[in-house]
Amino acid sequence: MKRLMTAAFVAALGTGAQAEDVTLQLKWVTQAQFAGYYVAQAKGFYEEEGLNVTILPGGPDIAPTQVIAGGGADVMVDWMPAALAAREKGLPLVNIAQPFASSGMMLTCLAETGIKTPADFADKTLGVWFFGNEYPFLSWMATLGLATDGSPGGVTVLKQGFNVDPLLQKQAACISTMTYNEYWQVIDAGITPEQLVTFKYEDQGVATLEDGLYVLEDRLADPAFAETMVKFVRASMKGWKYAEANSDEAAMIVLENDQTGAQTENHQKRMMGEIAKLTAGSNGALDVAAAERTVATLLAGGSDPVITKAPEGAWTSAITDAALAN
Amino acid sequence: MTALWVAVAVWLGAWALNVALAGSALARRPFGRLLVPLIFGATVLVLWEGLVRGLGVAPVILPAPSVIAAKIAVELPTLWADFAQTILKGAIPGFLIGAGAAFVVAVAIDRSPFLQRGLLPVGNFVAALPIVGLAPILVMWFGFDWQSKAAVVVVMVFFPILVNMVAGLQASERMQRDLMATWGASYWQSLWKLRLPAAMPFIFNGLKIASTLALIGAIVAEFFGSPIYGMGFRISTEVGRLGLDMVWATIAVAALAGSALYGLITLIERWVTFWHPSQRH
Amino acid sequence: MSRALPILTVLAGIVVIWYAAAVWMNSTWVYDQAERAGTTVSFAEMVPQTMTQDRPLLPPPHQVGAELWKGLFGQAVTSKRSLVYHGYVTFKGTMMGFALGIIVGVALAMSIVRFRVMDMSVMPWAIISQTIPIVALAPMIIVVSSQLGLTGRDVPKAIIAAYLSFFPVLVSMVKGLRSPDQMQLDLLRTYGASEAATFLKLRLPASMPYFFASLKVAIAASLVGTIVGELPTGAIEGLGARMLIGSQFGEPLIMWAALFAAAILAGLLIVTVGLLEGMARRRMGVPA
Repeated sequence: MKRLMTAAFVAALGTGAQAEDVTLQLKWVTQAQFAGYYVAQAKGFYEEEGLNVTILPGGPDIAPTQVIAGGGADVMVDWMPAALAAREKGLPLVNIAQPFASSGMMLTCLAETGIKTPADFADKTLGVWFFGNEYPFLSWMATLGLATDGSPGGVTVLKQGFNVDPLLQKQAACISTMTYNEYWQVIDAGITPEQLVTFKYEDQGVATLEDGLYVLEDRLADPAFAETMVKFVRASMKGWKYAEANSDEAAMIVLENDQTGAQTENHQKRMMGEIAKLTAGSNGALDVAAAERTVATLLAGGSDPVITKAPEGAWTSAITDAALAN
Repeated sequence: MTALWVAVAVWLGAWALNVALAGSALARRPFGRLLVPLIFGATVLVLWEGLVRGLGVAPVILPAPSVIAAKIAVELPTLWADFAQTILKGAIPGFLIGAGAAFVVAVAIDRSPFLQRGLLPVGNFVAALPIVGLAPILVMWFGFDWQSKAAVVVVMVFFPILVNMVAGLQASERMQRDLMATWGASYWQSLWKLRLPAAMPFIFNGLKIASTLALIGAIVAEFFGSPIYGMGFRISTEVGRLGLDMVWATIAVAALAGSALYGLITLIERWVTFWHPSQRH
Repeated sequence: MSRALPILTVLAGIVVIWYAAAVWMNSTWVYDQAERAGTTVSFAEMVPQTMTQDRPLLPPPHQVGAELWKGLFGQAVTSKRSLVYHGYVTFKGTMMGFALGIIVGVALAMSIVRFRVMDMSVMPWAIISQTIPIVALAPMIIVVSSQLGLTGRDVPKAIIAAYLSFFPVLVSMVKGLRSPDQMQLDLLRTYGASEAATFLKLRLPASMPYFFASLKVAIAASLVGTIVGELPTGAIEGLGARMLIGSQFGEPLIMWAALFAAAILAGLLIVTVGLLEGMARRRMGVPA
């Protein structure tokens, strides 16, 4: 398999000497959450670096980790918990850059359920995303000491779909939302912020790093690939900073790239505004303290931790050091 | 690579053995009927194992059968809980309700030419709605537990059974129907004594196709929201966690359950339509 | 008119039930909102409010109709917002999968009826193959396809569609090819007919009613397979992607419009298959 991949890579180098091909696998569908990459592509930042970048949208059935393991992508956007869990499963993923400084994840509850503090979660039904996105939630519940198997005194967990209906239909007391996406769906549906109680993972001290760039460790050992990644990260960060400064334009670029034709201008512009808050303060270099906090949160999983031991070599600053040097 | 060549050699040998077995007297006994597909299945597994080991396929892409078997042994309680949730509570009730409804509607349509002309085209249209689109809607309506899965299954199995049943009720020959009329048989007598038996091969054809759809329907519906157990939940969650051994373990359970259901329907069919030429080999 | 009247009667009945259900299902939200605002609504005030919601539990027919109209005729057919465009993408995948499914299904059925060893070893596994939830395999099919250098989304989608559509064809063809009774087979034997002649002159014609009955199921299965295949391919284009996006962004109207577009597509496909069946039957001299 490895031989196959290297062969394919060499072949790619042979044919594309004038432009280096990079395939990026996104974590989710085309939306402002990934504006930096689309902006870098549309504004020609990748081209300036001599890169030919293909952006593959993700989706509910796409595990970026699996795509990269199968050689379907060179680099991927994913959350650190999923990447670390995959690393422990024997897929040696390494974080090479961290455009998102803070986490946008939160639990949004209906005020009418009487929930005011995390202690009130007991015996309530909470909606959670799975597919690798459940790790932050499970770690948080473990820190609170709440069982998630539906036993009395614990919480009942629902695997929620991709929308906020469980909250609107009162099928769940709380649901997982992102500050930049699902929360606004609840608001758009006609529920006012006063009728909601939100718990941001950042405020609860259980935030985990989101939307970092990951590659396979063995490929990183190849200097040529590392050099390509330096160019890629540099151009991507340029795209992110441009998106932050010109948020409406960035949203429109995302909209042009949306092949489903279902995204709306209004929603994307608002999402970009929220995303800009999360990327602000990151130049792409990973904050090691934040990464260690993520690891500590994941290790705190009580009887069923997400990862069993602190990872080694799961992030490197080599790429961002080189990318930010000039 | 040697593992791969060994596997290929085993495959060719077993195929030759199967050709010999199928032509022998043994093939006419139940034992032989069971042995041949088992040998074939075993060789597929050997070939799979050989491919995975010989080419060094990453376990996050495709785990080897031996790894999957080990996982099944360890995770039996979880697999059972998933099975109970998805098959016993979702698929089977949905299948029975869907089949029953299709039966009633088919007879109603058959009884009334007006309904036949009105309902059948509309039924064709509505029932051809792709399930995948209905699943999130039904989960929204019926909640996250097994009720919504059963509802999806009902919608999914209704159509193939209805179409086959309507076709089957027209399967008896004109001369046979005329004969019933000359004997002064009522509609119900003629339905019960002639047309239903004649429709049986068609009905069972529909039931068989529906039985496989029922499983897929129950599992797909769990992708759009479920409690934290169930086969669809397990598959979609474990793919995200790269626990592909567990995904395949669940797929194996699904295949076993589906085969058992199909086998049961086939047995009933043999018993009901012993007279049909296709049952004689 | 005599053909349209019953259909219109049934349709009118459905629309009436639909409106009633929409009022009933969407009223919960109206009452909830009123409760949150601390007001009360009477029944007369509630009904109009159930007809114009942005996120209805069950959108009333006119809302779905308007959305469908907008999607079909509201822009150029090449636009990414056009349901015609997405429908064409899905149609393409369906036809590829359908063709592949027929070829595989008929070929397997022929070899199963002809060779005992195929019948005994492959037929049970063909059945078991259908019990594997293809949805679980879909992401893997895509990963493996990309591994083999097939970066396009069309091939994996067609494989998934064929996987669902070959089976009804296979089951019906096996039954159909075996449907001639012993007397007919013996008659051909007395004529000294070769195996090929027996197949062409007796088994194949006898299997046609079964074959065409299975095609309607197969084309619907192929469409379902394509739509399932459009979900894990990154939800990029096609009616399946539209449904998913509608579901994900809490836009029920997008979802319903895509659902109806898919149903229209399914209807067209089934009608076409039915016409082909009628033509084939007439050509073969089967009494209607």
